[in-house]
Parts: sequence; C-alpha cells; structure tokens
Amino acid sequence: MPAILRPSGALRDLVGGQTEIEVESGQTVRAALAVVGIKPEVVALVVVNEEQRSKDYVIQDGDIIRVLAVIGGG
Amino acid sequence: MNGYAGRILRVNLTTATITKEPTPPDLARDFIGGRGFGIYFLLKEVPKGADPLGPENKLIISSGPISGMMIPGGGKCDWTTKAPLTGGYASASMGGHFTAEMRYAGLDSIILEGISPKPVTLFIDNDRVELRDASDLWGKTTFVVEKQFKEKLGEEYQIATIGPGGENLVSYACINHDYGRQAGRGGVGAVMGSKKVKAIVIHGTKSIPVADMEAYRKAGMALFKACKEAEGLKDWTRYGTTIVVSWCDEVGALPTRNFSAGSFEGGKNLYGPVMREKIVITDKGCFGCPSPCGKYSRSKKYNSYVEGPEYETIGLIGSNLGIDDIEAVAQANRLCDDLGIDTISAGNAIGWAMECYQKGIFTKKDTDGLDLKFGNVEATFALIEKIARREGLGALLSEGIKRASQKVGKGSEKFAIHVKGMEQSGYATHNATAMLLAYMTCDVGAHHNRSWAITYDLQVGRELVVPEKVARIIWLQNFRPMFDVLGGCRLQWVELNIDRELYVPALEAITGIHRSWQDLEKVGERIWNLTRLFWLRENEDFGRQWDMPSPRFYEEAPKTGATKGQITKIEDVNRLLDMYYEQRGWTSDGLPTTETIENLGLKALTH
Repeated sequence: MPAILRPSGALRDLVGGQTEIEVESGQTVRAALAVVGIKPEVVALVVVNEEQRSKDYVIQDGDIIRVLAVIGGG
Repeated sequence: MNGYAGRILRVNLTTATITKEPTPPDLARDFIGGRGFGIYFLLKEVPKGADPLGPENKLIISSGPISGMMIPGGGKCDWTTKAPLTGGYASASMGGHFTAEMRYAGLDSIILEGISPKPVTLFIDNDRVELRDASDLWGKTTFVVEKQFKEKLGEEYQIATIGPGGENLVSYACINHDYGRQAGRGGVGAVMGSKKVKAIVIHGTKSIPVADMEAYRKAGMALFKACKEAEGLKDWTRYGTTIVVSWCDEVGALPTRNFSAGSFEGGKNLYGPVMREKIVITDKGCFGCPSPCGKYSRSKKYNSYVEGPEYETIGLIGSNLGIDDIEAVAQANRLCDDLGIDTISAGNAIGWAMECYQKGIFTKKDTDGLDLKFGNVEATFALIEKIARREGLGALLSEGIKRASQKVGKGSEKFAIHVKGMEQSGYATHNATAMLLAYMTCDVGAHHNRSWAITYDLQVGRELVVPEKVARIIWLQNFRPMFDVLGGCRLQWVELNIDRELYVPALEAITGIHRSWQDLEKVGERIWNLTRLFWLRENEDFGRQWDMPSPRFYEEAPKTGATKGQITKIEDVNRLLDMYYEQRGWTSDGLPTTETIENLGLKALTH
C-alpha cells in the first residue's frame, strides 16, 4: 500500500498544484521529496501521521506525510 | 474619512501641550498609514542633524486602515523615529492590542515631541488625554509597570512601557507591551526614555467608519476562512516561529557562536518540539489573530514566565552564544523583556564580547570578572543586566556593536555582525546570497522583516548571483513592508500562505478606495526610496559602504556545519549591490537619482 505525501501551501506550486501525491514506502522522506520534484532542503517540517519526523524517516505503508516550507519568510 | 479614526495626537513633552489634528486625506491617499505615515512625519518634521535622543527627534506611533478591524492580524502598529542605534531610519513593528485601542480612542497616529522635565505617563481614555507624573514608576521593570496599570485600571487598558534599558538610553532599548510584545529594533525605547515617557496607557470605545459594511464583513470572513483552512495552520500554531529552528540548523542558517557558523552541535536541544514539550504552557496571539504564534512558557529551573522565546531569540541568545538549554534562553528572554532591551541586538553584543574574550582581546579585567566563554549562561544573565544598567562592560555594549567595536579596535570590527550599525537578526548568510542582499539593503539595518529569502536561495541555488535574485529582493522589499503600512501582520501570508489578493476587497470595503497590489507595491517603493533619502540626509558620507555586510560573510568560511567551507566572494557582494542599485534606479553609490525621485513623485517631499 503506498503512502500519501501532502505538500503544504506554496510547496504545491512545485508539484503542479497537487494536494496529495502517492509515494512508495521503504524510502526516506528525503528521497520521496526528490522523486516528486521538491528539493528536500527547502522543506522545514515533516509530519508523519501527526508526529514530527526527520527527513530520514523511512516511509511505511499507509503513512500520511505532511511537508511544510517557509516560502514567504520570517 | 472611511477606514481612519480621523485624528493625529500630538504631545509636546517640553511644554506639556496636547493637541489633536485631523488626519490629512492626502496623507492617507499617498502613504496609507503605519510606517508610511511614520516616514512622512519623520522627513517633514524632524530637522536634519537632530540628536536622536534630543528634543528635536520625534517618536511617531501609527496604526493603519486594517488595525483593529475584523481582518486576520490587524494588531500591528509602527514606531518610527531617528534611530539612536544607527543614526538613520528606525521603524519598529509591535503586535498585541495597542494599535486596536489607539483606533478605538480615535487616533491614527500619536506623535511624541520635545522632552518632559520629569518622568510622565501618557494617559489616553477616548477624548481624555493627560500627562501624569510617573516618578514612582521610573526605575521599574516592564512587567511590574504593566501589571500595576492593569490591576489599577482594568484589563481593557493597553500599556506600552519602557524598562530600565530605555531609561538608561541603551541604543537598542525596546518598548514592551502585552507582557511580551515589543517595538524592538533601532532603539525606539531609548527615544521614549529620552523624552522621559515611561509608559503610554490607552483605552477607547469608538468605532472606525467603514465604506461598505456588508462587503467588509464578507471580505473579512473570506480572509479568516482562508486562514482556518490553511494546511499549515495546526503546525504553525503549535510551534510558532520555532518551527524553523531545526531547519535553519540543517541548512546552515542558524547563527552559531557569533555567526562563525550556521549549524550548532547543541541545536537539537533548542528545536521547536523540545521547547513545546519542556516549557510551553499555552499559545498567545495578538488582536484578531487566527494563528497565534506566541508561545507562553514557564521555566521551572528559573521559576519564571515569558512569552517566547521565538526563533530570533533562540538563534541570537541560544546558538549564537553557544547556549543549548532552552530554559536558559527563556530566562534570558525574560530578563531582556523585563529590562526593556532588544534580544536580537543584545544577543549579538554578547556574542561579539564572547568572541573578543575567546581571542584574548578582552580579559577578565575588561569583563568585570565575568568568564565570558561561549555557553556561559550565568555570565550571559549578568551581562544582560549590565547592558540595561549601563554598568562596566555593559556600558560599552549598550552603544551597539558598531560603536563598541570601533572603540575597542584590534580587529574586532571584523566580527561585529551588523549592517548600518544594526546588529544582524537570526539568519547566518555565509552562503545565501539573496538573504545577504536582503540584510545589506534593508532600510533599518540588518533586519529580516522587510525581505526574507533563505528558502528562495535554496530553491534557485544559494551561491547564484543573478538579476532575478536581486529582483526578488526588491519585490519583497516593496511588498512585505506594506503589511506594516496597512497596520497588519504579514505572518498569515508568510506562514499560512493565504492568497494576498484576499486583502484587496477588504481594504476597499474599509476605505472605499480600490487599490490593487500593483498600486500598493508602488506605495511601498515610494516609502523605500524615502527611507533611503532619510539615511542620506542624516549622514554626509552615506552610500555604498553603508550597505556592506560584516566581513565574516565574505572572508571567513565556517569551519563546521552545513555551510562548512562556504562563503560569498567579495566580488559577488559587489555584483549584488551593482545589480540592486541599477534595478532600483539608484547611482552606483546607492543613491536615488533625480529621475527616480521625480518618477516616484517624491520631489516635493525631498526639498
């Protein structure tokens, strides 16, 4: 079963406006981001199943992954 | 006039004269409010060469047309003055509830001028305006003063007060409000202290005329709906600005040991989730905020409470001082707030002093016996107190690091991290060229709120120096500070990424005047050029050299962390400025040309 990646806010602009993208389990969040076309280093926060995780978290089947970036700034 | 309270309050403290004048419609048309009003009055009324701490300088407090309205984040007001820290333009933005109360008291701006012969409180309750003796409050800390007024008058009164830092004219003294919100940068608190105004107490019950009430209701609700439905609302509310601590550490933007690196080995102890778990009690927002970024915290270790620490304070008083204990950072935050000094400048000043100590430029003889090693928490607490009291080494540091490093010499100027005399806020810019340019050209000094571009640097290539990067910074500088003109908070756009077009119908419904973002950015560009002209008017040698960053970012690559070995070349620093000046329509020395001034319709104001 694949996992779901949900880019927040302006990150959606980097993936053609998609709000949800299916990603393969067994890879890290960092790798999955690169696959869908988001530079991992621009992502400021990764939340998997409502728990904050690092980009090195290995994706499990059925995970819901939210990623957030600071585009507008501090 | 729709969208405006309609009056400007002028308080001459020398003569104790209080007058009100109508808010000029052409001022509202051309400068809208907030920092737009501020720069207009500053240029028009403060004479060239005025001593920032003398009677000729003015402190101009301005709301904007969305302040106190049913608009997300309508709780910001601007404090403009000639800066004691830099000798140039200062504009500090303060959240909380003060600006809403200003508007309900019927005031768009408050202008403080002259110097009172004795400490006073400016008391405003609707049309009742009085100067009251504040001799008994002089010397007291900000929390004590605010609590005293709240207990005596009631929670509905809003208080802005200085602490000992402002009284003692510390160059980066701030003004405190709402137990943890500040007009923080440039030394606005010292100007208030120089005028012997300890506090402003304000309460009002009036309403603001609105052009189209139904359209206003609809536009306001659309904005709130967008905020409530934003994907990032939950996370931003949970962590506030501390959400970026871990990310800045990862990408090498977290100021570490006086900006000598951008990643901190103890950073993990300062990350947002750690702080949330260890010390945060609740969330705290400003007027009309749907996404409260303030985190109210309790340190058990120090038995103290504080609003914060937020990202900047964690960066400057945590990692920048080599401190990896979030409770210690919270306590230092509380000390700075209570004493009324800016945490960003204070963190920089102490970081610079610690590096002087590390390099042997300072010995214990110079530090009043303090062992000023990076990471020394108790020495940090002691030095904060000394700065606010202007005692010993604190007296030197209270002048700001530009002046302090010029006095000390011995190469210490090279690691005094500032632009135009303002200490750099919390982003290390060894290899982030757009953000470096943002700091170099910011109109108050090295501050991040006008334009911010770390993510943009990472997206397009951090070392890249191209006209598109420069254009991005100019666009941000024209656009982002418009929130400070409108009297609102930019964080709903910054954090929640809501569509900025939603503000256009709201502003039109309130004021009755349609303004597109293109129009608003033009106002922003006019204000930007006026602030530049103010710097030029006040500093005879003003020009390119004033825009140069600390050599640390082009001479010394970090030895550790994500940006290890990375640096911006000096040629690229100069190329950035060349491109910036050209795109702005300025000379190669960074001065607006006559043609640019005329094209922007500023000729009359600059004579």
